[in-house]
Amino acid sequence: MFDGSGIPRLHYEKMFERLAGMEIENFEERRRVADLSFLLQGITFTVYSDGRGTERLFPFDLIPRILPNPEWQRIERGLTQRVIALNLFLQDIYGPQRILKDRVVPRSLIMSCPHFRREMVGVDVMLGIHTHVSGIDLVRDSKTGEFFVLEDNVRTPSGISYVLENRLVMMRTFPRVFQQYEILPIDHYPSELVQILRSLSPRGGDNPVVVLLTPGIYNSAYFEHSFLAQQMGIELVEGRDLVVDADIVYMKTISGLTRVDVIYRRIDDDFIDPLAFRPDSMLGVPGLMSAYRAGNVALANAVGNGVADDKAIYAYVPDFVRYYLNEDPVLPNVATYLCSRQQDLSYVLDHLPELVVKAVGESGGYGMLMGPAADRATIDAFRDAVRANPRNYIAQPVIGLSTVPSYDPAAQRFAGRHVDLRPYCLYNGTSVTIVPGGLTRVALKPGSLVVNSSQGGGSKDTWVLRGES
Amino acid sequence: MLSRIADSLFWINRYLVRAEETARILDVNYYMVLEESQQLYKLRWGPLIEIAGERDRFTQLYQEANAQTVFEFLAFRNDNPNSIVECVARARENARTIRERISREMWEDLNGLYHTVMNFDADAEVLAGPHNFCNVIRYGAHRFTGVTDSTLPHDEGWHFLKIGASLERAEMRARIVDVQYHNLVELSSDVGVADNHQWVAVLKSVGAYEAYRRHYQTRVEPKQVAELLILHPQHPQSIRFAMTELQTALRSISGTGPGAYANEAERLTGKLLESLRYASIDEIFEQGLHQYLIDVQRTCRAIGGQVARTYFYYAVGA
Repeated sequence: MFDGSGIPRLHYEKMFERLAGMEIENFEERRRVADLSFLLQGITFTVYSDGRGTERLFPFDLIPRILPNPEWQRIERGLTQRVIALNLFLQDIYGPQRILKDRVVPRSLIMSCPHFRREMVGVDVMLGIHTHVSGIDLVRDSKTGEFFVLEDNVRTPSGISYVLENRLVMMRTFPRVFQQYEILPIDHYPSELVQILRSLSPRGGDNPVVVLLTPGIYNSAYFEHSFLAQQMGIELVEGRDLVVDADIVYMKTISGLTRVDVIYRRIDDDFIDPLAFRPDSMLGVPGLMSAYRAGNVALANAVGNGVADDKAIYAYVPDFVRYYLNEDPVLPNVATYLCSRQQDLSYVLDHLPELVVKAVGESGGYGMLMGPAADRATIDAFRDAVRANPRNYIAQPVIGLSTVPSYDPAAQRFAGRHVDLRPYCLYNGTSVTIVPGGLTRVALKPGSLVVNSSQGGGSKDTWVLRGES
Repeated sequence: MLSRIADSLFWINRYLVRAEETARILDVNYYMVLEESQQLYKLRWGPLIEIAGERDRFTQLYQEANAQTVFEFLAFRNDNPNSIVECVARARENARTIRERISREMWEDLNGLYHTVMNFDADAEVLAGPHNFCNVIRYGAHRFTGVTDSTLPHDEGWHFLKIGASLERAEMRARIVDVQYHNLVELSSDVGVADNHQWVAVLKSVGAYEAYRRHYQTRVEPKQVAELLILHPQHPQSIRFAMTELQTALRSISGTGPGAYANEAERLTGKLLESLRYASIDEIFEQGLHQYLIDVQRTCRAIGGQVARTYFYYAVGA
């Protein structure tokens, strides 16, 4: 928020003035009211340590992150291009596989990816859409101010409900600041998404039955599932509510079985159908894959998308943009060493203390080594793991994540904290819609670079301005 | 409507009414006993465990039934599945699984009640007595009903909520009258006490004291209390009233008209309701109050089973 000299950057000025004129007690009171509203709405996650389960709030930081419009436009261009390229890649890889024949990506890298689903080869997905919803994680280099793509999430990215709820809470907490800024609205997300879902119905017609499939109440994203179902006016179902008969999917209602046309599923591929994937899954629907392959039900996102957000394949996404769209990528990747390549592997093994190492199939900050913060034993353990299975790891230099002002409740003062940004992109087969901003996650511990909520991260409202400031 | 959602709606209210009824009984019993002799004191707490149907579990946990142990057991123990905190937690858990289908106001109200209840310090409340805690539960349940009625469309889902509430109310009412009649009339005559202030307490525990006064204007007689709580057509605390609400809700869902039934739940409800409409309290006493109330409870359980069979459960694989 501040330039080098401690003067607030232009677009933060009005917010800064508002806060400077406010007593700390007044600010604390607003913070308390905001937290209470999250608690009452049940926007919590559960820690099971005492048998009954204790509910914790996802920390919400009241200082918004503000993006001037020109910065956002560049992000939007870059994301649009990237989402379309990822979708083309998925169409290709489960279709003609031109990109393998042209040797842009090594065949072995694809075939060794556990998220590559042979069951999807040759399946014509409705309207050719694989990536209906994508969450693309961006980070900003603190030195150059440039945005980089850190990872793509094109399976079942979560977090949009926090974006929408954070905005509502902010509008109630600082109504006057909202009058002083012109902030682009975000509340059209659910209607955009449901419109895409309805367009996928294999039966056509004006009244497709669209449902959201959740793993259930114990899933950490359950609040989001129920929130989105309510906002879109569709039924929230669990696996046990659905049944497949002769390749048609039905839901069990009080007046008998009702046919289902479109499923926005928030269950991973592995669990979606015990007959096709993990046989021990209690969450899925037996026979769903077969109904899907027969074209009698549409799934969003498509099955098999994990091959596109594998962290090793990530390194090739800029090549996808060039290959499929014949354009230069607007948003660069973070430099990435693929441990499956011999020369990268030896570099990584020699420089572990300086690098971030990630397991390619993991997300949520799990399976990750932060070299500069790790002790000797952890580094040695990772060295062994990388040696044993190089395909499973990539490494990246540590990015000096940009900081934005945040509130430190322990010290009762404002301080800079590291952030990332996850915008949510909706693809309808011809164009990409991105709600302005996205989820800003913030590492609330001083100096920490890890923003995941499972590791002490929080979130902020993200404002994209109509103009420069 | 999804069967699972109907099922959860049904259980939200069953649990909430159970919590509310338990709170009423605890509160009134506590203050009734304060005015009694030491000799009776011990007799008064055991029946509450009978009403809750939890004698075995209770005797495993405690030496004797007294104000403290019964309050703790019925209000706070999480190893008692019918304790008030467990009922509120389960009502809220059911609401959480269908929160997209109930109104935001309903969810926030019930979730707020849950957090309030969880924040009570059980040890301190047991020392202070149940009044404050029980009031929070009673008014919490009333408020939820009000929020529900004024924010949820009165469609199928609302009727399933009604079914849960009225079925639980009828069954609990039958149990309370049965146990307290046995306790106050039969046990008390054994020890030679004939006082009516316990009956005042019973009426108060179900919120029917003022109604009784207006209706009978005599001293409180056990038989008339039973008449009010079983047969009164308009009092919301009577079994007949609850069964009437149940019938209305069941018929609204199936679209059945008067004089007919669409399923076994409706048939059983109609049959019991006819007996409540045309029976006199003298007839009920002649054939035996205890047996009559046991039959009411049995029928309520059968209706619950039939509602589930008709609307909630599917045969495996279909």
